[in-house]
Amino acid sequence: MSAAFWSMGGYARYVWPCMALAGVVLAWNLWSARAYRDAARQRARRALAMSPGETA
Amino acid sequence: MWTWFYKLASPPSVYAAAGALAPWFLATAAVAIVYGLVDGLVFAPPDYQQGDAFRIVYVHAPSAWMSLFSYTSMALAGAIALVWRIKIGHAVAAASAPIGASFTLLALVTGSLWGKPMWGTYWAWDPRLTSELILLFLYFGVMSLRSAFEDPARGDRAAALLGIVGLVNVPIIHFSVTWWNSLHQGATVAKIGKPAMSLSMLWPLLAMLLGFMLFYGAVLCMRLQGEVLNRERQAKWVREAIKS
Repeated sequence: MSAAFWSMGGYARYVWPCMALAGVVLAWNLWSARAYRDAARQRARRALAMSPGETA
Repeated sequence: MWTWFYKLASPPSVYAAAGALAPWFLATAAVAIVYGLVDGLVFAPPDYQQGDAFRIVYVHAPSAWMSLFSYTSMALAGAIALVWRIKIGHAVAAASAPIGASFTLLALVTGSLWGKPMWGTYWAWDPRLTSELILLFLYFGVMSLRSAFEDPARGDRAAALLGIVGLVNVPIIHFSVTWWNSLHQGATVAKIGKPAMSLSMLWPLLAMLLGFMLFYGAVLCMRLQGEVLNRERQAKWVREAIKS
């Protein structure tokens, strides 16, 4: 990539932080959603282990 | 028809559908976002007035659109849960709120970074900016209210009500640039007739919007699975579901 591309016509200090922040927000969303689902699975496993015969 | 609808909205069906859809949404979102970014950052020409700074639109506009879409989805899901007593609606609303809040924050910060070189300031108490900031507070309010009650069912109902009341802010945000004098530019893509943007700039923007929507779908599905498990952890079907 050329220096002109990275300089973004003199607006690099505004454009690239926006792109980086968007990457961080998307990555956080993905990570937190997976973590939330996995934690819920763990809790469900524990709950089932503590009451093996219970049904609802 | 209603029986079919209630069956479709049952927790086991939703859990299974969300698990099946999430990877597809995520893969197609990745393709659309990569295409949109490469086309928007490398191949789209600079704007005749804003130069390369206009490229911020490729993350700012999709995140702003998604902040409104996510809020509307959250409020409608809450309304469905309140009116038809379909409990999965509360789970969808709860799953949607943090995603929408993060998109709103992204829209505000990228807008602020775009505002500095174009308007000479990071922030102005402009109708569009202020109403978008209120949207962020509404998201925080809905999330806080849901967790403020010991009884989760009461928290769900209170959060759904606040979400529905806050829906009035969505058209205010959208039309703020036409109803009041605003620093913010008017509609460019969602303009009746012809978009005020060249196609070489528009295509990557539409790809980014599609990518963000699909990404929202993927993350919503993952969070929804977690919500359903948290709410149904004693149910018989959960035993089978978490084994797989």
